[in-house]
Amino acid sequence: MARDPKHDILFEPIQIGPKTLRNRFYQVPHCNGAGSEKPGMQAYNRGMKAEGGWAGVCTEYCSISPESDDTSRVSARIWDEGDVRNLAAMCDRLHDFGALAGIEMWYGGPHAPCMETRATPRGPSQIPSEFEINIHPRHMDEDDIVEVQQMYVDAALRAQEAGFDIVYVYGAHSYLPLQFLSPFYNKRTDRYGGSFENRARFWKECLEKVREAVGDDCAIASRFAVDTLYGSSGIQVGEDGVRFVEYVDELVDLWDLTVGDIAEWGQNAGPSRFFEENHEKPFTGQIKAGDHTNKPVVGVGRITNPDTMVAIIKSGQFDIIGAARPSISDPFLPNKISEGRLDDVRECIGCNQCISRWEIGGPPLVCTQNATAGEEYRRGWHPEKFHPAANRDRGVLVIGAGPAGMECAMVLGKREMAAVHLVEAGKEIGGCVNWISLLGHSDGKENLARGTARGLGEWTRIVNYRQIQLDKLTNVEVHTGSKLSAQDVLDYGAEIVIVATGCHFATDGLNPATHAPIEGADASLDWQLTPDEVVAGTKTIGNRVLVLENEGYFMGASVAQKLAGAGHEVHLLTQMGDIAGYMEYTLEAPMLHRDLHRLGVNIRPYTMLEKIEPGACHAYNVWHEAHKEVFEVDTVVLCTQRQSNDELYRELKSDKRRLQAEGIENVFLIGDASAPRMIVDSIFDGHRLAREIDSPNPAMPLPFIRERRLWGEASNDDYRSQLLNTPDVVVA
Amino acid sequence: MKIVVPVKQVAALDDECELLGDGSGVDPDGLEWELNEWDTFSLEAALALREAAGEGEVVAITVGDEEAEEGLLSALAKGADRGLRIWDDELAGAAPDALAVARVLAAAVGRESPDLVLCGVQSSDAVNSATGVALAGHLGLAHVAVVKGLERDGSALTVERELEGGLVERLRVALPALLTIQTGINEPRYATLRAIKQARQKPLELQTLADLGLDGAQVASASGSRRRRLAPPDRGGGAEMLDGSIAEVAARIASLVKERLG
Repeated sequence: MARDPKHDILFEPIQIGPKTLRNRFYQVPHCNGAGSEKPGMQAYNRGMKAEGGWAGVCTEYCSISPESDDTSRVSARIWDEGDVRNLAAMCDRLHDFGALAGIEMWYGGPHAPCMETRATPRGPSQIPSEFEINIHPRHMDEDDIVEVQQMYVDAALRAQEAGFDIVYVYGAHSYLPLQFLSPFYNKRTDRYGGSFENRARFWKECLEKVREAVGDDCAIASRFAVDTLYGSSGIQVGEDGVRFVEYVDELVDLWDLTVGDIAEWGQNAGPSRFFEENHEKPFTGQIKAGDHTNKPVVGVGRITNPDTMVAIIKSGQFDIIGAARPSISDPFLPNKISEGRLDDVRECIGCNQCISRWEIGGPPLVCTQNATAGEEYRRGWHPEKFHPAANRDRGVLVIGAGPAGMECAMVLGKREMAAVHLVEAGKEIGGCVNWISLLGHSDGKENLARGTARGLGEWTRIVNYRQIQLDKLTNVEVHTGSKLSAQDVLDYGAEIVIVATGCHFATDGLNPATHAPIEGADASLDWQLTPDEVVAGTKTIGNRVLVLENEGYFMGASVAQKLAGAGHEVHLLTQMGDIAGYMEYTLEAPMLHRDLHRLGVNIRPYTMLEKIEPGACHAYNVWHEAHKEVFEVDTVVLCTQRQSNDELYRELKSDKRRLQAEGIENVFLIGDASAPRMIVDSIFDGHRLAREIDSPNPAMPLPFIRERRLWGEASNDDYRSQLLNTPDVVVA
Repeated sequence: MKIVVPVKQVAALDDECELLGDGSGVDPDGLEWELNEWDTFSLEAALALREAAGEGEVVAITVGDEEAEEGLLSALAKGADRGLRIWDDELAGAAPDALAVARVLAAAVGRESPDLVLCGVQSSDAVNSATGVALAGHLGLAHVAVVKGLERDGSALTVERELEGGLVERLRVALPALLTIQTGINEPRYATLRAIKQARQKPLELQTLADLGLDGAQVASASGSRRRRLAPPDRGGGAEMLDGSIAEVAARIASLVKERLG
């Protein structure tokens, strides 16, 4: 299909300083867990986006000195020749596919705890980080200022040597240059503090020195939070926001604009449950609209809709469409728009699982929508290419069309299996997504700082994308409303059977805190519910509700939010120190807490139930069991733990001779049916099995390339010999 | 009980289909083919009647080229006992219209002497709703069109017809008879992988016009229409693109609806 002419504007080249971006798609700096120490992953993860049409692709934040060490979170580093060599691999790969390479030079100040390097971070004033624990910076005198500015220059020269085309002086998210600019951090009274010009001096001098060093050859970019959302105690867009852009505009070739800071950067990487597409427009949109810059501007806001992109450019909001998450979810977004293949776009769902793994510190990034994210190098997976399976003459039966089953059937279809039947007991495909996507909203009131509790509706994109792909695959049949017994499966005539039957919530209170059921817990009663029953609306819910949340992710809190929003009086108990702990990693927690607090939900951490009786839940403090409390409620929601629906699998496996007699070579168990997990991991599980369905033992994942240092002499071939065997990813 | 189910392999038409330059038809390049949706319901009705009777035979018949064999195989996989495909070079030239197809089918169905013929109400590509009732005319069979409910009662059937405005007409029909079946009357089954493989072992016969005692001229004379040209409709005006926030767009839609409703 041809591109829709209305999208042509997205493919017009644009000049940034001495460089030209081939189109308006730009991967802004974002973390991926590769840094400088997994050069293969770094090169192939970023390179996939260049292959998919992005014009500019950046590193994550890249430390310029051992004084800026964010361990255990993974940043890139450009400290020495070794880092130059490793990041050059990324630059080369981007250039091979026609993209420009950007590096985001970063000095964190008090936000870099230096736990690996044991160095002392320097900052404008000696005030500890607002989110790191007990990290005080050293107050910088003027010699320190000159020294740190030289670190930017030296790093820029190394970046130039590595092959970078775009060099950032990174201030946004409240790192050192912005710490000088913002009175929230800068309490100085010398010529680097006080007045606007004094506070802007450090950043301005950095830009001057970096431009002087590499500006003839590289485009100079700056990432700037036009509003740190702290009111008059920080940067406000109408004040220092526009003032700073105007003040240093001549020194910058590209403005990369954001909102907020790192302490609550969910205001920037807005999760879909609180922020809609292009949510930063009211802030970042003011810079060009108010004619405060003569330079190209890139901005973000989980923008996946090409019509939104066109409107952004035509209206003068931005010149370039920035993306972090949408580029992870679909590295081929630009090419798909260019080819008019909009129904093939894998839209980001805004779950922020990608971010969560960086926040945890260490793991590679993951993506709910794109199971190949981060696996391009180590497993040789390509998001758009699927080599035919060696055993493609086999017929496959996939039972259960939830996240794992849909993904598995789709990938098996793309691997050209002779026939894939995806059989679902429910009326629709989608599995748990169909009811989970109805959670997360409250009463619709827009009083949550910048966002509102929009719910998890965008998560239905998980189903939409797969449904469209499954429809297109002529070797895949999807049958709904059909619950198969073990006998049905044996009679089905498939050589390969994959069980993806999902899971259910425990009805007896079995939980991770006590590893035992709770006395009196029984969700077969009409006043005790599992979370899915809350959504289904099959039981009457009383005015006073207790939600027991033992999972630590979104479920219990989302149920509390929904019920409190509907006017119920809600107690939310957890055995942990906070409810929904994982939502700290997905950046959803601050907004969630605002909403729960506003709704009057009674949050009780470190609290567990010992007994449930009609009208009364008996609780205790987990650190002091004698400290008891009785909650008088009408309804109890048990969000304790989940259990696999694996009866069908066990029954099939119990008679191996029968399987053999029916011509069934193998029975696999994937997703929640194997072990309940997050949707991102269920989809990965289904994808992994399909990618390796022709391996010697598909139930066991193949080894992947580990980019650890090999002792003694080593060459790249020692690492990538496996990659050379996977034909989907082009090896340079 | 012998039931004949005429089926059609139809082109899956979506918004990407293109017309031939001379307007004589749809460009077959890149088209995908599938069993007509209505025929999946008539087939299911036939299979259910056979199963309820505990005996009998379901014969799927189609008029079409090799592509149509897939449709018959699909019917066989779902449970039809045998298949008959009718094709002839004389049919390949000028695409026969619904009445001509009915004439061909009549020759084949007549030889089967079925107790019941179950057609789909219409095909999803041509949408004439003519083949079934024309076939009944050729065979001189009692027929009921647009059937949405069906029960066997000895040698007769009680059927419900769908009428306009939600009205339902209930009729009793003596066998033999021909019904055209509406979608939604049942839940069509699907074929397991084993059934799909086994379908290839079931009898599937190919007959020419001569086998049926027909010739091209007889078929042509049965035609009631001639396709002159296919063309996309002229693009109409009246579309208005709405810009603005969700609230603004919603308000504009509400005011437009109120305006148009008067």
